[in-house]
Amino acid sequence: MKVEIKNIYKSFGSNHVLKDVSISIEGGEIVALLGENGAGKSTLMNILGGVIPKDAGTILLDGEEVEFANPAQSQEAGISFIHQELNLVNDLPIYQNMFLGREIKGRFGRLKLDQMIKETEKIFEEMQVDLDPRTMVRELDASYKQIVEICRAMMMNASIIIMDEPTTSLTEKEIERVFQMMRRMKERGVGIIFISHKLNEVMEVCDRYIVLRDGNLVAEGAICDVTTGDLARFMVGHDVRTESLTREKNISEEVLRVENLSYQNFFQNINFSIRAGEIVGITGLLGDGRSELFQAIFGAIPYDSGKIIFKGKETTVPSPGHALRMGIGYLPNNRKENGIIKDMNIIENASIASWPAYSKWGRIDRKAHEDQFEQQKKTLKIKMMNNKDNINSLSGGNQQKVILARWLSINPKVLILDNPTQGVDVGAKEDIYDIIMKLAEEGIAVIVLSGEAQEIIRLCDRAIVMYHGYIQGEVAGDEMTEENIMVLATGGQLN
Amino acid sequence: MMENTKRNFFSWFKYKWNAEPLFSIFLVFLVMVILQTLVLGFDYDSFGEWFQTWLNNWINILRNNAATGIIALGMTLVIMTGGIDLAVGSTLVAVGAMLMMLIDTGTKGILAGFGFEGALAFILAIILVLIFGYLLGSFNGVLVAFGRIPPFIATLGTMMVYRSVTQHFMQGYNPTVPVDFLQIASLKIGNFMIMPIIYWLLIALILHYVSQKTTFGRQIIAVGSNEKAAKLSGVNVNRVKFHVYALMCVLVAIGSVIQVSRIGAMDFANAGRGLEMDAIAAAVVGGTSMMGGRGSVAGTVLGMLIIAVMNNLLNLFGVPPFLRDAFKGFIVIAAVLMQRKERI
Repeated sequence: MKVEIKNIYKSFGSNHVLKDVSISIEGGEIVALLGENGAGKSTLMNILGGVIPKDAGTILLDGEEVEFANPAQSQEAGISFIHQELNLVNDLPIYQNMFLGREIKGRFGRLKLDQMIKETEKIFEEMQVDLDPRTMVRELDASYKQIVEICRAMMMNASIIIMDEPTTSLTEKEIERVFQMMRRMKERGVGIIFISHKLNEVMEVCDRYIVLRDGNLVAEGAICDVTTGDLARFMVGHDVRTESLTREKNISEEVLRVENLSYQNFFQNINFSIRAGEIVGITGLLGDGRSELFQAIFGAIPYDSGKIIFKGKETTVPSPGHALRMGIGYLPNNRKENGIIKDMNIIENASIASWPAYSKWGRIDRKAHEDQFEQQKKTLKIKMMNNKDNINSLSGGNQQKVILARWLSINPKVLILDNPTQGVDVGAKEDIYDIIMKLAEEGIAVIVLSGEAQEIIRLCDRAIVMYHGYIQGEVAGDEMTEENIMVLATGGQLN
Repeated sequence: MMENTKRNFFSWFKYKWNAEPLFSIFLVFLVMVILQTLVLGFDYDSFGEWFQTWLNNWINILRNNAATGIIALGMTLVIMTGGIDLAVGSTLVAVGAMLMMLIDTGTKGILAGFGFEGALAFILAIILVLIFGYLLGSFNGVLVAFGRIPPFIATLGTMMVYRSVTQHFMQGYNPTVPVDFLQIASLKIGNFMIMPIIYWLLIALILHYVSQKTTFGRQIIAVGSNEKAAKLSGVNVNRVKFHVYALMCVLVAIGSVIQVSRIGAMDFANAGRGLEMDAIAAAVVGGTSMMGGRGSVAGTVLGMLIIAVMNNLLNLFGVPPFLRDAFKGFIVIAAVLMQRKERI
């Protein structure tokens, strides 16, 4: 099947999200849809998926014009949209998820479970998936959930599948599993639109690329003709730095030391020490325990044994409130779940951590927070209209900067950044890197938790690599390469 | 030109309606007041006389709803943290019984037994019942915040406990409230019996300040909106929850003092039954989200007034009493439908 999208326009209010965009995709190819956050990728795919209506333009299926009033119609026509947050019910077995909403029923609405299991087995066999349909979805890891979604799309005879950032929460091994699946689909003549921010993956799995910027189609072509650098340049519209970042190193005395810290099976016998002005990367694969380790140091979760020594004194951190008063800041991962407070406006989100420090008799000193935030807006380059707008009116990158402002407002001595560039576009990413550099110059000990080896290498003075709750090794200087980090992260040893 | 201003007005109106929950709530309230004014037979010629009736009617409405109005304010804060307090009716009775036992002029009066009488006894009694309310609320707070019991279950439990224990202790004994105590609610200012209204207004102003300007008040919203993020931002979530439930029952205690001093008696078996629902209704009509994170003190005052004016209208129209709750039900549902559009 061939899908052509021609001259699509879409605006929300005065905001023109798509301007005369035309793309096409055929069965049997994998096309990367690239662009920064807010470039119009999601809008375009939502139009194709029948989620939102278009303002102008046409959609042609094999040359015939179609209109999708809702997602069901689009699905009917053979277009499946696999959303980033998967549409699976954790508490149902796989086969019931496969037939969710289209159950095979007998008389009096009785479900024909056996038949549904058989159908699912058939699909799994065809797609060479080694799963028992009776497994609960809850027990699957993220990649298998993705695969179940793909199989469900296949069962509905999809000829075009849209995959919205399917690999964000997957480990390397799981990503490979999903890619194999995608290649298998391609061989069967299915067309895939692959939305991703990870350019390396795009190079690995895609045949063609389409780049959107500010609602315009700016580039398209065959993947074999370009490099990741080219793609990044298309996305941002100018050259992107990839060299290591440098700064005036201003490293002084030790601020934080951890000795033999352990908590259940999340992390064991952790020892490290961090000095003021240092940038230390903590990396590893999913399930390495790095988030849990630093949440424990921040007081958000407990630990069983070991010592935390802050500024030379042994301390306990019973709660995040304590950590905050000591001068430890923690930018959590997963901004939407752990960072954003959606019913509060921008400035409240930026200042909540420092309310108690500035308040007199429990009264919030709004003036002080406003003055501080004016400064931060400049240093963090936050693009926004009004302090009192809702936090959700900002783009992902600006939201992340607001949450970063929250932590800078307490004047931290130690700043833990858990996946600071998650869901952030290329431009904002560079801004955040610059901020991190500046903070270190000012003498803050910065700890960057990230799964992206490149990010760690560019930013950090040294990297601690974790594996299944243990520190597997530490690399610095010339030793700090993607290969070495990967060896340690997968449980190997450097020689 | 004409067309243009019209459009501007409509778009302004639409924006306000969508963006500011208080705006739509206030408009609904305004419409109901106008309706009520018309029903009361507005007549320009005999304005003075009409105004007298209108004013008396309003004072009645406000006074009758003051106790529930105060309790609804506490309920708003509780709901804003994402919780609920079903035990307010039972707490009202427990506090009321304690209060009446303290000031009883009959054989069992506690304070009289210690030789306290008159104004001193009343002040002492009020202080003691406020503390008692705080303790009852603390118990709810401990269960919810530290025991991690869902608020619905925890307060469902204490709802039964508080009333049952109260009834057991009272065993049908009916304390006599001293006549002077009734002055707390019925003292006249000028020619008007407006003390309960003053209490309500005062508490509303204080709570408005607390919820808008203080760390505690804003942390309530943070906890209700995203508990995990609030915790990771250094908010002591358990402390906030504990204090909200304790404050709730202090407000119930104030409501109880007003109720006792207004009526001079309390039916321990039935008083306060359905009070929690009235309070929740006022909060919800006033724009409080049951999911937590959204709501305002001003909204709940308006919500309470909307329900009160509606009751008054039903009265004036002569709607049969059994049907009135149906109207209340409709207005709650309508209010939530109206506000639903904002939440996506």
